[in-house]
Amino acid sequence: MLILGIETSCDETSAALVADGKTILSNVIATQLDLLKKYGGVVPEVAARRHTELIGYVIKEALDTAGKTLDDVEAVAVTSRQGLIGCLMVGVAAAKSISYAKQIPLIGLHHIEGHIFANRLSNPDLPVPHICLTVSGGHNMLVHVQKNCRYKVLGTTLDDAAGEAFDKIAKFLGLDFPGGPVIDKLSQQGNRQAFSFPRPMIRSQALDFSFSGLKTAVINMFKEKIASDEALPLADIAASFQEAIVDVLVAKTLRAVEEHDLKVVSVTGGVSANSRLREVFAETCKKKGIQVFSPKLSLCTDNAAMIAAAGYARMMLGERSDLRLNVFPNAPLGG
Amino acid sequence: MIILGIDTSGYVNAVGVSDGINVLADASFPAKTDSLEQIVENIDSTLKKAGLTLKEVEGIGVGLGPGSWTGIKVGVTVGKMLAFSTNKPVAGIPTLEALAYAARDKSPLVGAVISAGIRDAIYTAFYRVKNKLLIREGDYFVGDVKDLAPLIKEPVILVGSEVNRYYELLIKEDSSLKTKIKTLEALPSGATIASLAANRLEQGKSDNPLSLTPLYLKESTAKVFTKKYSGGA
Repeated sequence: MLILGIETSCDETSAALVADGKTILSNVIATQLDLLKKYGGVVPEVAARRHTELIGYVIKEALDTAGKTLDDVEAVAVTSRQGLIGCLMVGVAAAKSISYAKQIPLIGLHHIEGHIFANRLSNPDLPVPHICLTVSGGHNMLVHVQKNCRYKVLGTTLDDAAGEAFDKIAKFLGLDFPGGPVIDKLSQQGNRQAFSFPRPMIRSQALDFSFSGLKTAVINMFKEKIASDEALPLADIAASFQEAIVDVLVAKTLRAVEEHDLKVVSVTGGVSANSRLREVFAETCKKKGIQVFSPKLSLCTDNAAMIAAAGYARMMLGERSDLRLNVFPNAPLGG
Repeated sequence: MIILGIDTSGYVNAVGVSDGINVLADASFPAKTDSLEQIVENIDSTLKKAGLTLKEVEGIGVGLGPGSWTGIKVGVTVGKMLAFSTNKPVAGIPTLEALAYAARDKSPLVGAVISAGIRDAIYTAFYRVKNKLLIREGDYFVGDVKDLAPLIKEPVILVGSEVNRYYELLIKEDSSLKTKIKTLEALPSGATIASLAANRLEQGKSDNPLSLTPLYLKESTAKVFTKKYSGGA
C-alpha cells in the first residue's frame, strides 16, 4: 500500500512516499534554517507561513522523486496531533484536500508516534515491546511501547527538552544554531570531565526530566569565568555539558527498562543523532545485555516518512480519520 | 467554465459555484473556532446541492485574504491542493476585490474594508468600476480606520462586514465625509470568488498552484517562541 505522508508540526515541511509501511520511496524535508537563524528560534506565524509556501512543492517533489503520481497514492497520513497549531493546520489542510480530491483514506497521527515509528522504519528488526526515548528540541519523553500502536508515557520533561538545552547553551556560548550538532562536534575536542555539572533528577525515582538547572549551572559558571577574566575553554564546557545531558538520558532510560523488565531500547528524535549519546547507550546497553536501536540520521529529525509508516500501522488496524480531521497541538500520546 | 470558489478569510467558510454569469451555489458556513474542520465538508455539501461533483468543476477560485491569518492559510492551501490534485486551473482572488464586487453596481468607486483584528485596524483597497470590471486604485491600505479619512476625496461606497461601525469612526474624524460615504454590509461570497476566477481563467490567466500564497498584508510581530512546544505526555 503506497502512503503519502505529510509532516508540518514545527519548522520542517516534509512529504514522503512509503510503500507497505517499510520502503521509503522518497522523504523530502524542507528546513527553515534561514528563518531559525534570523529569529534565533521558531516564530509560529512565520513558520506557518513558510509551510503554506512550501507544502505544494514538497509534495510534488516527493511524488517526482518516487516516480509516482497522486493516482498511485492509496492513502494520506498527516501529523495532526502535537505541534504548533498554525503549522499543523497547513499539513492537515493539504492532506484533507488530497484525500477528498482522490477519494482515498486519510489518517491523522500524533507527532511522537511518528518518532517511535522512525526507529521501526529504520530498524525493521526493532522488536515490540520496548522502551522508547524520544528526545529532540521540542520533546523529551520516555514511552513504554507495549505493543503495536499501544503506548504508556512514563516520563516527560518538566521544563526544557534536551535539544532545547543544547540550543540555548550553544546560543549562550556564541555558537551556531541548531546547537546540538555544533556541541556534538566541539565536544569531541573537549574534556568531558573538565567541569562537574549537575545531572538533574538523576537520582529521583521519577522518570521525568528537567534540564533548566543544568542550563543555569553552565551559564553561571560561564559568567563567573568572564567576571574573573579566566580563559573560556569552550570545547571542555561543551563536552562536560553534553556529558551531563547524556548521563541523565541514559540513566533514566535504563531505569525504565529495568522497571519494566525489558531488554530493548529505542532512542529516537533529533537528539538521538548525537554521537556521544549513541556511544554511551551502546556501551551501557552492551554491558547489561540490552539491545539498543537508533534510526539512521535522516530519520532522527522531523520527517514525513515516519508519519507514513505510523499511518500504515494504524490503517492496518482499521483506523481512519474523516474529513473533519482537526489539529490538536497539545494532544497526549494516547494508548 | 464551472468554477468552485472558496474564501475562509472571515469567520465563515464561504463556498460557491459560478460559471461567470450564473450563480449555481452560494453558501456560507459559520467556521466556529477555525475554518479547517469543516471546509472540505462544506465544499462537498455545496457541490452536492448544486448537483455537481468535484469532477465536473472545471477550475478553482480561492480567496487570498487579507483577513484571519489562520483562515487564509487554510483556504489557500485547500484551494491550491484541490487544484493540484485534480489537475484543474486555479485563480487566486484578493478577498477585498470579492467584497468590492458586491457594490459594483452602486457606485463608480468602491472601498472594500476588512477588519485587521485589533480594535480599529483595517485592510482597505479602492476599486474604480469600469465596464462592470473592478480596477484597483492605489496601494492596499493597512492601518487605523481614522487614517483612511484623508484618503477619501470623492463619493465612495464602503463594503465589508463592519462598515457601519467604521463609518461612524470616519465621520467622527471628519464630518464632511457624511456626504461622501455610503455603506454596504457584506461578507465575502464564494460565488463571487468563483465568478471573478471564471473571468480570469477564461482568459487563460491561471496561477501556479504550487506558488499560490495568501495575501497577508502584514508581517507577524510576534517575538521568538523561545520554547518550541511543551513536551506533551
